[in-house]
Amino acid sequence: MSALAGLTIVEIAGRPAGEYTGKLLADFGAEVIKVEPPEGSPTRQMGPFKNGVSALFEFFNTNKKSVVLDLENKADCVTLDRLLARANGLIDDHDEVWGKSHGLTSGEVATAHPHLVHLAVTPFGQGAPAEWQKAEPINVINASGWAYHSPSETPDDKPPLKGPGRFLADYEAGVDSALALLASLHRQRQTGKGQFIDISADEVLLNRIDCVLDRMLAGEAEPGLERTAYDMGGPMTAFACKDGHVYLFMTTQVHWLELRALMGDPDWAKEFRDDWLEFDCTPENVRKFRTGFRPWIAKQVKIPITEAAQKAGVAMVSINTAAELPRNEQFIARGFFQEVEHPAFGKVAYPTVPYKLSKTPVRITSPAPALGADSGAVVDE
Amino acid sequence: MAASSPRHTSCGGPLSGVRVLEITKVWAGPYAGKMLAHLGAEVIKVESATNLDEMRAYGGVDIDSAPYFLSINQEINSVQVNMKTEEGLALVKQMVAESDIVIDNIRPGAMERSKLGYDDLKQVKPDIIQCSIKMWGNDGPLGYQTGYAPCFAALSGLFNLVGHHGETPMGMNMRHGDSTAGTCAALACLAALHHRERTGEGQFIDFSAVEALSSMVGDSLFAYSVTGEVPQSDENYHPEMAPHGAYPCTGVDWISIAAPGEAEWQALCEVLDAGELAQDARFASLALRVENCRVLDEAVGELTGGHDAFDLADRLRKVGVPAFKSMNSIDLCADEFLWGRQGFRLVSDHRNGSRPIIGPSWRISPDGPDVQRGAPLLGEHNEFVYREILGLDQDRFDDLVARKVID
Repeated sequence: MSALAGLTIVEIAGRPAGEYTGKLLADFGAEVIKVEPPEGSPTRQMGPFKNGVSALFEFFNTNKKSVVLDLENKADCVTLDRLLARANGLIDDHDEVWGKSHGLTSGEVATAHPHLVHLAVTPFGQGAPAEWQKAEPINVINASGWAYHSPSETPDDKPPLKGPGRFLADYEAGVDSALALLASLHRQRQTGKGQFIDISADEVLLNRIDCVLDRMLAGEAEPGLERTAYDMGGPMTAFACKDGHVYLFMTTQVHWLELRALMGDPDWAKEFRDDWLEFDCTPENVRKFRTGFRPWIAKQVKIPITEAAQKAGVAMVSINTAAELPRNEQFIARGFFQEVEHPAFGKVAYPTVPYKLSKTPVRITSPAPALGADSGAVVDE
Repeated sequence: MAASSPRHTSCGGPLSGVRVLEITKVWAGPYAGKMLAHLGAEVIKVESATNLDEMRAYGGVDIDSAPYFLSINQEINSVQVNMKTEEGLALVKQMVAESDIVIDNIRPGAMERSKLGYDDLKQVKPDIIQCSIKMWGNDGPLGYQTGYAPCFAALSGLFNLVGHHGETPMGMNMRHGDSTAGTCAALACLAALHHRERTGEGQFIDFSAVEALSSMVGDSLFAYSVTGEVPQSDENYHPEMAPHGAYPCTGVDWISIAAPGEAEWQALCEVLDAGELAQDARFASLALRVENCRVLDEAVGELTGGHDAFDLADRLRKVGVPAFKSMNSIDLCADEFLWGRQGFRLVSDHRNGSRPIIGPSWRISPDGPDVQRGAPLLGEHNEFVYREILGLDQDRFDDLVARKVID
């Protein structure tokens, strides 16, 4: 059984932001009908490719159906209208200019389909200057402030970084979009009424830093030009070990005493007062600690040493590479990767979801659809 | 469905009438509660003076106006219960019986030890939805391990994908992770709510914060399985766009620029007055620009150096080049666009009358949520929860307070 069985969502997205929103719902079991232009979604043309098929498209469109409609053409717009009449929700990630030229503004959709929940996810939200909405994910990450402050402890002369992968802003915005859409669909169950939801990816990212940036807005912390303005301070950082890297998080006397014992109480560590993390955590002490710790941790192997640390109550963890994840015993035990036989790729492992629902587990039941695979069946319904 | 209350205990909006109980601390769990509250759910945070959310202690001495706590917990209702007493735990179960969703992010095993595991809660509310957020999930060989946001990032694979050329991986800013995990958890709760409404069946949600972060690079992890090419730290580079990066401007400022195609590249060269670059054979096509992206970055960086980042970004956007200043915290706090859109907005505040907060990413109409209540005082909603929801009489309530079961 799947959680969203019975819900039908039409997706007219052309970017990962909207496609991820649709994927999250499709993987929960909603019927997601992806409406694509005759040439296919732009993401079909984005790499990497294998056997001529985009792995990117295949990831973002699992469990969906595909219907080809040319929205430049009146007859096809009528078909879309028929789909919307029987759908619960509509996902769009085009800008307002596109909506206006295709009769799909929030007002037009609400008038034609008052029962429908219509979601539009854009880089800066409705009403933003048109030219801002051409932003790529790297621009949104920089606009939100995350890039300027990433990584932690970056000096002024090194560039701000976009974060992991190509689409962090799209993923984060997709989760908020799916969340707000499900909330409004809940209301639709109670009232039979639709709503319009405007999501700004920039504001999604700003909200994610609430307890750091808001203290500056409220005057409790000083905003500034420092690249370290979001950092916590303290000795926490990544360290090279024998077979890779570990991350050490440490803020209390208990952490320190346990770590010191784990290192075998070396002489350099005895120079620190027991409560230095709480009451004497100066930049000088942080430097001294890292200087002493580095040669010791460099000789350790990451899995055994982090397990020993965890058992002693020290939050030291392995910095896993992407290649290590599918082999990691915890990922295996939880079944995070699901093997699927893919028509173009053969046997592949899909990363799935962080939530294990006891009654309605998320499964990849069908790979992304071929272009127009469901045009006949869906349109005739 | 929990009965809707006449009191103003939610901000209205699509989740009106849904009641959430949260037994949460620090950031990920409270953020999940906040997301649901900002969509209109009535969210009740179970607290105790003897076992405070650390966020009530950070950055000040007044637990009722602690900056971190105020920054997260808007539109949340606070009820006090001493969960170290049997009586207190029984009261929590009574609250569960009146709720739709229970969220926790306390240490692995702690809910079960307090007899608040899913099997226990099902006894008092058969269709309860319980979401338990843990670093690594609720069981499995490494389920005992604990950590904070950068630990989630390290284990998830994200951390290793971010860093400057030739250096130790450094991850995103260390604050990234908790709020992302909290949002994914809130999403799972709503999917389960839909299932319950259709079938009447509740369920348990076993949530891994590590996997929440891994899912932020799902396409890269999938591509690895498909192509065998291991995702690596790539700074600001993009396999299909160049330039694609952050470039120095005046002072300590930077600008982000992306040129997905030929038109953007030509327009960029024109704005930067870079005729030579436009003619350079090494950059004559997108494929060549991607191939020579490091040299290209240096060349573009030399040209942006003398420009004001705001001004240059504005001029580039006007000719169709995706560009934005890399915003520092002063820029953000003063941003007229964000204030104008209510990206930043004011809520009530017990000490100062009002407080600016970072508003939700959604605008919903008609009948959208209206976030306007600041974070609660400790126990601000004791009377509401015990008297109105649980229906205790005044004598019993006073007695529980006197005996510090409500503390």
